[in-house]
Amino acid sequence: MNSKKRPLPQNHQPPLQQKHHASMAEEEDLDEDVFLDETLYEEESQVLRDMEERESLASRLAKWKRPALSQPYMSQSQGVVFQQLEIDYVIGESHKELLPKSSGQAAIIRIFGVTREGHSVCCHVHGFEPYFYISCPPGMGPDDISHFHQILEERMREVNRNSKVPKLVRRVEMVHRRSIMYYQQLGSQPFLKLVVALPTMVTSCRGILDRGIQIDGLGMKSFITYESNVLFALRFMIDCNVVGGNWIEVPVGKYKKSAKNLSYCQLEFDCLYSDLISHAPEGEFSKIAPFRILSFDIECAGRKGLFPEPTHDPVIQVANLVTLQGQDQPFVRNVMTLKSCSPIVGVDVMSFDTEREVLLAWRDFIREVDPDIIIGYNICKFDLPYLIQRAEALGIPEFPMLGRVRNSRVRVKDTTFSSRQYGTRESKEVTVEGRVQFDLLQVMQRDYKLSSYSLNSVSAHFLNEQKEDVHHSIISDLQNGNPETRRRLAVYCLKDAYLPQRLLDKLMFIYNYVEMARVTGVPISFLLSRGQSIKVLSQLLRKARQKNLVIPNVKQAGSEQGTYEGATVLEARAGFYEKPIATLDFASLYPSIMMAYNLCYCTLVTPEDVRKLNLLPECINKTPSGETFVKSNLQKGILPEILEELLAARKRAKADLKEAKDPLVKAVLDGRQLALKISANSVYGFTGATVGQLPCLEISSSVTSYGRQMIEHTKKLVEEKFTTVGGYEHNAEVVYGDTDSVMVQFGVPTVEAAMNLGREAADYISGTFINPIKLEFEKVYYPYLLISKKRYAGLLWTKPDKFDKMDTKGIETVRRDNCLLVKNLVTECLHKLLIDRDIPGAVQYVKNTISDLLMNRMDLSLLVITKGLTKTGDDYEVKAAHVELAERMRKRDAATAPNVGDRVPYVIIKAAKGAKAYERSEDPIYVLENNIPIDPQYYLENQISKPLLRIFEPILKNASKELLQGSHTRSISISTPSNSGIMKFAKKQLSCIGCKALISNSDRTLCSHCKGREAELYCKTVVNVSELEKLFGRLWTQCQECQGSLHQDVLCTSRDCPIFYRRKKAQKDMAEAKLQLDRWNF
Amino acid sequence: MAAMEIDTESNLQRKQSVYQLMDEGFEIQKEMYRGQQYSQIYFARLHLMRTLLYSLLPNWKPQLPVCTVLGLEKGKECIIVGTLFKHMKLKPRVLDEYSKEKSAAPLVKPHNFVHQDDHLVLEDESGRVKLRGNVLLPSVYVTGIVVALHGKETDAGDFWVEDILESGLPDQIELPLKSGDDKYVVFVSGLNVGSSVSNPLQFQLLVDHITGHLGDEKEQSIAAQIVQVVIAGNSVEIPHGLLNGQNLASKDQSKMSEPIKELDILLTQIAAGVPLDIMPGPNDPANFSLPQQPLHRCLFPGSSTYNTFKSCTNPHFFELDNVRFLGTSGQNIDDLDKYSEAKDKLEFMERTLRWRHIAPTAPNTLGCYPFTDRDPFFIERCPHVYFVGNQDKYETRLMKGSEGQVVRLICIPRFGETGIAVVLNMRNLECHALSFGTQFSS
Repeated sequence: MNSKKRPLPQNHQPPLQQKHHASMAEEEDLDEDVFLDETLYEEESQVLRDMEERESLASRLAKWKRPALSQPYMSQSQGVVFQQLEIDYVIGESHKELLPKSSGQAAIIRIFGVTREGHSVCCHVHGFEPYFYISCPPGMGPDDISHFHQILEERMREVNRNSKVPKLVRRVEMVHRRSIMYYQQLGSQPFLKLVVALPTMVTSCRGILDRGIQIDGLGMKSFITYESNVLFALRFMIDCNVVGGNWIEVPVGKYKKSAKNLSYCQLEFDCLYSDLISHAPEGEFSKIAPFRILSFDIECAGRKGLFPEPTHDPVIQVANLVTLQGQDQPFVRNVMTLKSCSPIVGVDVMSFDTEREVLLAWRDFIREVDPDIIIGYNICKFDLPYLIQRAEALGIPEFPMLGRVRNSRVRVKDTTFSSRQYGTRESKEVTVEGRVQFDLLQVMQRDYKLSSYSLNSVSAHFLNEQKEDVHHSIISDLQNGNPETRRRLAVYCLKDAYLPQRLLDKLMFIYNYVEMARVTGVPISFLLSRGQSIKVLSQLLRKARQKNLVIPNVKQAGSEQGTYEGATVLEARAGFYEKPIATLDFASLYPSIMMAYNLCYCTLVTPEDVRKLNLLPECINKTPSGETFVKSNLQKGILPEILEELLAARKRAKADLKEAKDPLVKAVLDGRQLALKISANSVYGFTGATVGQLPCLEISSSVTSYGRQMIEHTKKLVEEKFTTVGGYEHNAEVVYGDTDSVMVQFGVPTVEAAMNLGREAADYISGTFINPIKLEFEKVYYPYLLISKKRYAGLLWTKPDKFDKMDTKGIETVRRDNCLLVKNLVTECLHKLLIDRDIPGAVQYVKNTISDLLMNRMDLSLLVITKGLTKTGDDYEVKAAHVELAERMRKRDAATAPNVGDRVPYVIIKAAKGAKAYERSEDPIYVLENNIPIDPQYYLENQISKPLLRIFEPILKNASKELLQGSHTRSISISTPSNSGIMKFAKKQLSCIGCKALISNSDRTLCSHCKGREAELYCKTVVNVSELEKLFGRLWTQCQECQGSLHQDVLCTSRDCPIFYRRKKAQKDMAEAKLQLDRWNF
Repeated sequence: MAAMEIDTESNLQRKQSVYQLMDEGFEIQKEMYRGQQYSQIYFARLHLMRTLLYSLLPNWKPQLPVCTVLGLEKGKECIIVGTLFKHMKLKPRVLDEYSKEKSAAPLVKPHNFVHQDDHLVLEDESGRVKLRGNVLLPSVYVTGIVVALHGKETDAGDFWVEDILESGLPDQIELPLKSGDDKYVVFVSGLNVGSSVSNPLQFQLLVDHITGHLGDEKEQSIAAQIVQVVIAGNSVEIPHGLLNGQNLASKDQSKMSEPIKELDILLTQIAAGVPLDIMPGPNDPANFSLPQQPLHRCLFPGSSTYNTFKSCTNPHFFELDNVRFLGTSGQNIDDLDKYSEAKDKLEFMERTLRWRHIAPTAPNTLGCYPFTDRDPFFIERCPHVYFVGNQDKYETRLMKGSEGQVVRLICIPRFGETGIAVVLNMRNLECHALSFGTQFSS
């Protein structure tokens, strides 16, 4: 099936840029050969820039070079120990000295890494060959094998006509292996190991065997292949015991310095794969080398109203920060600008007259600084492809040589990444050879559920810092200004480059990802570009190899196998519990089940075998879902073994973590224990992924069925044992149960008593389970508001004297399509209900808020709803409020209207009766400027009522009546629109400040009736002014602080910032209030 | 008429002095909110004070070159002039309202936000530089001061400060000849009429003393030498809860206007006899931002009919018989107290004079009108008396400037809580407290 053939490259005339439109699903990992000479670009033909200019730039860049090599390295009198970061392969001529026997093209593994001293390393590994297995047809002798080899070689020739390899199928060997699938009584069976010349040939060979091949005496026969879907680099890692990000040693004398340096690395050499020493990440080798991390950001000058396009819009600035892993400050800060730019303190500003120079300076910079990891925000989808496509548009063929391999161009291709867990995402894959890309946006999207992924809101969330946001429509204006305005832009650009680095440090991504790579054994780059299953597969393959097992390449069955029953959730008894609720949790439930019942591919007995094999009942487990697995005395499963190792390693890491003093060691260990936990939990998912590498629904459905049984069992035991009949004070009641936890109300009034009973119950029930399934008691909720399945809130207690925090699940505190009002209201209500235990207070708070909303006293920023504009209006099938608004804004002013990819903030305004909600959306700024009344009813009905009722229904009898109807909903104020049609005919007249009666004499403030209340009414006006002044001051000085300058105006238009609209509104309200106050000065 | 007879033989004549109001700079009349930002007042301040500092440099360190922040070169000694900005870890921010997790424990509001990790940066139009060194203590300085610094850029790109030059006190006009008679100015603040803690009788005693209705002949003769009364803020406390935008019930209307009426009655008694200046304070029915504008005359229908009654701005600058007075209702010093440290309030006052700026923390932490082309808080003329209202206790000290300037510093305590007013003798700038007690003790 995978007969997709890549057109062979026309030699000597390489296309300027290779673009592969390979739509790759996650699970369809294909090897793709890169030919060493294919992408080579002749240096001689390179258009060199003015030599002098180059030299001056070179001297500026030279100070950031890597440390020079010491003598032992120079003379090759010491071995090389380095931490590898990236492993790939190229096709080149096989090494004549190292492999004297072979000739022609071969796959050469390339390992890039860094030594302890900070030297960059490129290691070419020779002699490792791609291979896979098929099961050997019975009765095949050595002669048959060589015959089979011949036939296969012929068939392969037909497919790979242009190949210059003398022998496509190098060897066919008979080996003894066993398939991982199903329990088998026999020890091993004959398999054929097919060794091919190049990695891509694995795929074509598999295709041939899949379709079937004519063999004498056997006729047409098709074969199931084994391990034919393992990427070549991963295959190498598995066979050499190399895990992602570990240390590799090449002993002295075992490597040969490359005759001609193919890369820009300081140490480049060739060696044989059998000479590599791979160190397990323990002790000294658990450390992390001083990687160079480049964080960068670019600015483009877009045209008015359009998102920048590489074919039109220039790159005007590139800001770079380089940090050594383990240090807290970057050692390089610079910015490259198009046109002059005023200097910036502590930053190397490099200005150029042409874009070409900017781009080439950046390329030179990359080459000199030689970063191991490139980070940034959205660099994979935007910055890197933009730079490359821009260089293409400008005709600078020498630009995209950013990798570590000399004269090799960076390649861009579109990929679609789809995974059950992360959904489908389109992205561009830019391969920069030898450098790992780590796009913080992708990481955030993978690891965190956030309401918005803009750099601003992410930094607000994690760094508690707002980011200044300059709208792209003014970037061009700043660029076209003077050196000062460009400096302003550069400062902004630098900040955008710095934030990803700070996020990386703060969230310990380097540690966590390196550890994840080490635990799962995949290269670091796989962690971001691929899904979960490759990680499990890598572990499975490693383990299988030890056990002489081979893994079949199962045809993608799609969803044919159907789904299975998921985890169980006990019926939630909704209510507000004012007595402590103890929570009994199963510790790592699914992994424990797999271990306890020995669930694995290799322990599963087929229904057929159940009948045939006559297994003794004490040797098998029949799972609640009806499957049969053998117990570990007959055959120990390898999944349980992997899990045991993972959990044992986690225990060890946690113990070491307690002992560790050095913060860097701690970071490594913490990253490791986290990686181990995640890995253990993803094994179950791997068996259930129907489009995965090796789905086995028998396992996953057995796991969930055991899980269900255990929850039910726990409920039964708790309710049987803890009763007044059994000698306890109260009857225990299970109020709710989720996937791996059960909530019990023991009826006791204090947290301490509930904790004691919880512990007792956990111990008692654990005793009834098979090891290592264990029920743990961890926490008590008190009070506990149970709304429905998967929705609850409560105060969480782990010690009897003080609660730890408020814990909520499934409640509108972080939904992205709600306005801030909902979040604030819900949070505040829960706070009042749970912490203050003040139900009337919470009700009053809701009423006040509703009244404020109806009286138009609500802060507008709380009402803003934000949605991302993913495509243009025509592409949406249903009319959506934000899309309609974007259209309308484009008609108003194309320059500031949101574009595809932007987030569109809007509020719902009052409009003609019967107007649809999507017609009533409006730009908050426009609303502020034009005094447009918002529609409080919409917010009341469509935004706040549901979440509120959900919370209050378990507490109040007539929640809806109590909260949403009543006197507080009666007074409604409608502000007058200032520019609607009818108002153009209205005449403005002054009215009395006291009673709104019209006054004829415009010198006066009050009508004659209100004259006596002058002092009171004045106080009211002036207090209003005073409040606004207070707010005005706080808001505007905050923005000054955020932008980091006192003497410059605030430019920021970040609509993600919570105070953006407030600041605008304060400014406008202030002006109005001041006018009002001035009326008193008659 | 009969009652007057008792006093006829000792009919005392109240002394008088020449009063000149100099508040023009603090008045906001034509200025409007037109979308201007705070950068402009910083800009105006920097320009004004840099010119001044530049003129002082030849007498300070003439040999050193003057640089901008951008022009700094590593290791080269020079002088830079700019606005200080203090990074403060504990400074409350409006964004904290939105922080993701509302902590379960109530937020403790510290009185002082100084933290040992605070650091200073110097900013001019060209950029910012982090300041280091042992001379410039972050706990002493605050955001908004313009200073000249001598030092050099370190390898880390910071600026190592060797020495500091502040603007210093401006020139002072000479005090009038000492031969003059004793003339007294009474300062009072924090009357808090209408508050639960203030004692109406205490205030009445003060009024009676000032107007000469108290004590024997000697005491009355002293009272006759009072030429001016200054009320430095927080005269009245109106219940803020009532002012939430809803129309008031008539019962509440009176609750609100009652304290103001009461104040007006007492002020009328003073104004009938002695010139009276009233300044707004943070709790008065006035605007919030500095400079606070005069309390509206409509609040004082009685006292405002006297031409001796003057409603003034805060800060307030005036001259009496050529003695110059400058004072605030306390916000400037209270704010310094939150964002810096000193041994007493008088030290904060001294600093503001030495920095030649009454309210450096405005607009950063102290509310302030966004001026566009001027900085009214810059101290152009050196006062002889510098007073600050609404302080915890009465304190006073004489401060001497390098050019022979002499300034009387006064912290006026809150009268409502302490029963203390402050009396200053204009002849010799001597000062004493006037304490009123209403407890009957044996």
